[in-house]
Amino acid sequence: MPKLVQLERWFEQLLEVVVMLLTGGMAVVVLLAVVFRKAGMSLVWYDEVASIMLAWLTYYGASLAALKRAHIGFPGLVESFPPRWRVTAVYLGEIVTIGFFALLAWVGWEVLVVLEGSYLISLPNVPIQFTQSVIPIGAVLFIVAQLLSLPRALDEARRGVHHQILPEVMDK
Amino acid sequence: MTIFLMFVGLFALVMLNVPIAVALGVVAAVAMILTTGPDILPNVALVMYDGSTKFPLLAIPLFILAGAIMNSSGISRRLIAFASALLGFIKGGLSMVTIGASLFFAEISGSAVADVAALGSILIPAMKKRGYPNAFAAAVTSSSATLAVIIPPSIPMILYAVMADSSVVQLFVAGIVPGLLGGFMMMGVAYWFAVRRKFPVEEAFQLPRLWVTFKDAAWAFLLPVIILGGIFGGFVTATEGAALAVFSALFIGGVIYRELDWPHLREAMMEGGVQTAVVMLLVASSALVGVFLTEQQVPQQLAATIGDFTQNKYVVLALLNVLFLVLGLFLHSAAAIILVVPIVMPLVYAVGIDPVHFGLIVTLNLGIGQQTPPVASVLITACSVAKANIWEVSKFNIYFVAVLLFILMLVTYIPIIPMGLVYLFYG
Repeated sequence: MPKLVQLERWFEQLLEVVVMLLTGGMAVVVLLAVVFRKAGMSLVWYDEVASIMLAWLTYYGASLAALKRAHIGFPGLVESFPPRWRVTAVYLGEIVTIGFFALLAWVGWEVLVVLEGSYLISLPNVPIQFTQSVIPIGAVLFIVAQLLSLPRALDEARRGVHHQILPEVMDK
Repeated sequence: MTIFLMFVGLFALVMLNVPIAVALGVVAAVAMILTTGPDILPNVALVMYDGSTKFPLLAIPLFILAGAIMNSSGISRRLIAFASALLGFIKGGLSMVTIGASLFFAEISGSAVADVAALGSILIPAMKKRGYPNAFAAAVTSSSATLAVIIPPSIPMILYAVMADSSVVQLFVAGIVPGLLGGFMMMGVAYWFAVRRKFPVEEAFQLPRLWVTFKDAAWAFLLPVIILGGIFGGFVTATEGAALAVFSALFIGGVIYRELDWPHLREAMMEGGVQTAVVMLLVASSALVGVFLTEQQVPQQLAATIGDFTQNKYVVLALLNVLFLVLGLFLHSAAAIILVVPIVMPLVYAVGIDPVHFGLIVTLNLGIGQQTPPVASVLITACSVAKANIWEVSKFNIYFVAVLLFILMLVTYIPIIPMGLVYLFYG
């Protein structure tokens, strides 16, 4: 197996474990909150922790979606281009995407520095730096995912593979 | 001028197939720098974080997870068996079974595409075997799955409720009557085809058989009772109802039916997580656009401009219907809701439209978009399951889409149809 493919597989497995833990964890936290509230012992940290888990799922899951090239886009026009233009469009898209997440990683880090010494309201022992670290870390992971999946995207652009890059979530 | 350039830039990036979430973030960040200077940049990180912590949206991954678990638990087979015992005696029985099973499935599942894949993979080959045209089988499966978009629980409704700051529970209630009405009308269309094309009857109606299939599917029927009963009864919030749905689905699939295994559960958790992340990244980057547009008072200016043109809410509703129908042709529902709803809400309030009523209209419009190429995710999935040509399927599907459009008109111009139950329960 080529090293890049092996690295992509390893990276994918890592993100899959994180996404599964967060998805399952959120279900457990929300259910626990219902049980404790009905028992008359509301969990004070429930809203804040569940929201943080959602934010983490957003950025770590978005990296996994980037690896699978599953983010919502409009491929219709680019797919109608001749191969050379399609490849150029892929490169342009990569520059824009990676540039944005590089910016996000940088400003996310700057914010973390400013937030030193701040703690969560419901869990005063947990630093906000820890919860908001998802922005710079998630942004770097997104860039890695884009770079790892770039050879596949370029290959598909050269061959003119038409596929629906549409997630199914909103089709209920 | 900055706003105009922002929308041109957004359009150009989307046309270049840059992910919409990224395109939104880029144009918003550039616009913020142009108007305020680079010192505003740390706000990009703060808003992108805050935008992804919207608590009510927790319901989305949980409902997707619950639906995916149920899909892996043999529920489709049981629902189809029950629907067949209930409706199979009618001419064109299998198409009725498809619509009926879709309506049941909508009560628990998180994705119309998943519904098409789960029900279509059983019912489309069965219809073909019984002499139904392949394209008709794909059309009826596709359009009845889309009807699920307005039957609670509905993920677009949750998303709308958060973006419009409206009640998700009331939206769920508003979808019940139009959803059932649409189901019956689709059955009428299917019957019309059955008579014209002499589709067969499946089986004679037998009460004992109905009872046996009902008993087998009873646990599956219990799930919507738990979810919707809990939410509508005020025992749990929509988010908590979603968590309850996950654990009920796990119990029914793993302990009662014993058809759920680890590979399926793992797949379900991945599906729920990734699909949620895709939508949530859109929500987060749209928060960035929202901050900028609100600072520039764009939604208010839009409301004032259209308000100068007309104050008639039915004319405004007609304009908004056209806008969302066109958007539905080219944009995925999530993107359309996240992008447009916050901008048009001041207008909606200004002309006196109930936000719950409007939410149902938006959801239906975008549901129709799932059936209309080029971006017709549900139709494309049905065609792929049936191995049918999209244009051949569309020749049949147009009749079912006409039903959806008719329901849209009813919902838009006779508000009591969706809102009757809401007024009854919530005053």
